[in-house]
Amino acid sequence: MPFQPTVVEQAAERLDPRGAARRRLLAGTGLVSASLAAAGLLSACGDTNKDSADAIGNFPKTPNWKFVFVNHVTTNPFFTPTQYGAEDACKLLGCSFQWTGSQNSVVAEMVNATNTAISGKADGLAIAVVDKAAFKDPVDHALDSGIPVVSYNADGARDAPGTARLTYVGQGLYESGYALGQRALTQIQSGTVVGFIATPGQLNIQPRIDGAQQAFTDAGGAVKFSTVATNADVTKGLSIVDAYAQGHPDLAGMLAVDAGSTQAIGQTVKKYNLRGKGLKVAGGFDLVPETLAAIKAGDLDYTIDQQPYLQGFLPVLYLYLFKISGGLISPPQTNTGLLFVTKDNVPQYQSTQSRYEGSSSDVKLVDRSGAIAHQ
Amino acid sequence: MTGNSLIQETLQKPQAPPVLRRGATVLVRWREASVLIVAIAMAVYFRASADAFLTHDNLRNIAQATAPAAIVAVGIVLLLVSGEIDLSVGVVAALAPFLVHYAVDLYGIPVLPAFLLAFASAAVIGFCNGVIVTKLKVPSLVATLGSFYLLLGILLTTSHAYPAQIPEAAQGRIRLIFGAADWSSLIWCLGVVAVFQVVLTRTRWGLHTISVGGNLIGATEAGIRVNRIKIGNFMLASMLGALAGLLEAFRINSIDPNIGGGTALTFTAISAAVIGGTALAGGSGTVIGALLGALILAELQNGFNLIGVSANPFNIILGAAILLSMIANQYLSRLRRSGGV
Amino acid sequence: MSTVLQVEHVAKRFGALTALRDVNLRLEKGEVLGLIGDNGAGKSTLIKTLCGFHRPDEGRLLVNGDEVVLHSVDHARSLGIDTVYQGLALINELSVYHNMFLNRELRIGPLLNNRAMRRLAREHLSSIGVNIPDVTAEVAKLSGGQRQAVAVARAVFSDAKILLLDEPLAAMGAKEGTLILDLIRDLKDRGDVSVIIIAHNYAQVLDVCDRVNLLQHGAITFDRPTAETSLEELTELVVAEYRDRHRSR
Repeated sequence: MPFQPTVVEQAAERLDPRGAARRRLLAGTGLVSASLAAAGLLSACGDTNKDSADAIGNFPKTPNWKFVFVNHVTTNPFFTPTQYGAEDACKLLGCSFQWTGSQNSVVAEMVNATNTAISGKADGLAIAVVDKAAFKDPVDHALDSGIPVVSYNADGARDAPGTARLTYVGQGLYESGYALGQRALTQIQSGTVVGFIATPGQLNIQPRIDGAQQAFTDAGGAVKFSTVATNADVTKGLSIVDAYAQGHPDLAGMLAVDAGSTQAIGQTVKKYNLRGKGLKVAGGFDLVPETLAAIKAGDLDYTIDQQPYLQGFLPVLYLYLFKISGGLISPPQTNTGLLFVTKDNVPQYQSTQSRYEGSSSDVKLVDRSGAIAHQ
Repeated sequence: MTGNSLIQETLQKPQAPPVLRRGATVLVRWREASVLIVAIAMAVYFRASADAFLTHDNLRNIAQATAPAAIVAVGIVLLLVSGEIDLSVGVVAALAPFLVHYAVDLYGIPVLPAFLLAFASAAVIGFCNGVIVTKLKVPSLVATLGSFYLLLGILLTTSHAYPAQIPEAAQGRIRLIFGAADWSSLIWCLGVVAVFQVVLTRTRWGLHTISVGGNLIGATEAGIRVNRIKIGNFMLASMLGALAGLLEAFRINSIDPNIGGGTALTFTAISAAVIGGTALAGGSGTVIGALLGALILAELQNGFNLIGVSANPFNIILGAAILLSMIANQYLSRLRRSGGV
Repeated sequence: MSTVLQVEHVAKRFGALTALRDVNLRLEKGEVLGLIGDNGAGKSTLIKTLCGFHRPDEGRLLVNGDEVVLHSVDHARSLGIDTVYQGLALINELSVYHNMFLNRELRIGPLLNNRAMRRLAREHLSSIGVNIPDVTAEVAKLSGGQRQAVAVARAVFSDAKILLLDEPLAAMGAKEGTLILDLIRDLKDRGDVSVIIIAHNYAQVLDVCDRVNLLQHGAITFDRPTAETSLEELTELVVAEYRDRHRSR
């Protein structure tokens, strides 16, 4: 039987290949060892080992490349499938990733994390560019140091990515808002539609409502579109949507551009049975359980999935391909999808708990059978 | 006089052996020694774990992370020593560059006067905090919590929660001096630390600040203008917060409203002050210690990031490391005191 | 003999509580006046009113014949009135010499002149016979007697001409108390410093004071040179009030 190293030994090995940490760890004395042990154990839980990966499939043998993801809301559950995606890609390709950044959208923290990754000679960077000016210098510095950089989930402002990143992997925010509006227009020709946005101005959702606004403008103005701010806090947002619905009984449509507001619309429509009272269309973003239930019940018509899993998987894949081809394969601009979830395909979303939606960490095959819904 | 020798005997204290006393006195005098030891130990650990830790590039990263927290921590030290605290400094830091932006871009005021305006506004905020605490007798924890939310609301409303651009007029030289140049924020930080170390230990203001925090009634009885001291320190803390905010905004080339709302700056600064040896109870504090405390926190953030710890376990490790540093610090301090005079 | 301090019809109230009703008192130059009275009679309040800490609600104060309104403790100090409070007003975290010069620090420009303060502190303390070997030690480390000595020395060397001592002998053993009493006697010998001292030990009061005043019901009800009274009489005065109060219940 080959000797199976324990997690702790693996951790010590990872922390300090020279062996000093390993000896101290195994001796187990003192404060230093305690902190080393803690650090080592927990790091070991997160990442794979640092040995060179054996050749995989048709790819040559590569060192264990470390890719750093810099995120603006590191502990937000929305990005859990993103992390699973990155992890799956890493396992597939024999590399590893680190998930860092800021917990509360503090740009300075993200810049610090980026700079640290550059100093630490990361093999690739994936950054959620939530600020159109702050990341220019760090990304330039990374590229000058030979580190490939892609952006994901957010890419500066519309028409002003603000960095020299190789590509953007994520949803076209403006485009998705436009599609949201367009689809609503297929169901109504006149009346007023209200668009709810949790935090106006925030770079990863404001472009959506701008897109929606444009869709209605382009349609000729027969349908009026107005925007209302709800709240980053879901319960407060619900009260605002509720009050608005009561104050405007003749709405033709209700739209939202973020998960919380979408959920609130679903709940409000159900509470006042607005579908029976002249509301012709309701739709929004993301796949919160309440939203899926509302679609099934018919209160909401559709929601848009931006497939966060791909926002973790694809950057790893692209950075790997860039490195393995010596830069010849340049990462392509990728829209991770503008998938409409409607009554037809919602059952599958509701019934499965999978890594791909972030609701479970189990690695398993998700069955699907029958026809594929289409328009 | 006959009574004197008897009195002298009574009042004279027993002396420890001279050698021990001299060595111990040096350690006791240098209270920041224990924090420095922890900071160095940490650097050694991280260097052993990650080659890149002590490279020129990374030292710059550590310096840039230390500087704003240290600057705010200096103000916090002054307040803690005088027996108060300020939770709103982080928001003042976020607000200051916005005020510069509004002044320059909306009202056409030239850049340097706009800076002065920002500092003056910070001083006014500090003044209000001070008055609410001293004259209206609201405990500072509660009062500054209130001003935290109030200012945060003003910040988010006027900025629409949207980051702003550094004004065109402030690009170039001004930007470089105020945080964009590699070592600029560190130089400002060291300057602030030097000045206020002197203020706290070698000026009347510092002495009176210690008195107010150590024995408020006694200080009042001795005729010290305690309210003036407290209000003045609130103003200093707010202005230092403004300075830190400006430096950060210029460094990252963007004015970010979020830096005030999160726990980032305020909590880090308070932790730095306390790790550095300033007592939460008042009457005792060290500015150099706060710098070392901020350094320790920056080392932790940077070091664990270099090693590759991801966000979720990061918090566990950061918390554990802070506790361990504090325990080590306390242990070393106690060793100092018992081995000393 | 000239009157350095004259108190006329002074009253002080705190909300519904009347601490001082109608106090009339005089202090002659070079004399030591003992102020006695039951706990809660208002002695500390009177001292705090005389040193500028409180403002009287009624009445007036005359210093060396001139009417004054004391705006603050600093103002009183500038007129030569200094106080040693019950709490001693010492800052534990500061050194002996910093405490001795508290709010009167010597400076070179904006910086403290620590060397001069240390030297003067040592000189002052030794000149009054107090042995504190290290003036840079924190005051927290001193014994009760040493702390009291520092507080008294601070007042003595502030060039004050009117010294108000609030229970300087409280919580002191016989040996340590002797130092303070000697100090007061030395001050008396100098002839240009006048002292009001609050004390509960009537033997000590009779020993060191020239005259004694009793504060009762918010006013001075007894004013006699110590030579003309006795321990028994003073005790009886204070106790009688207590007996009266309880008999009338």
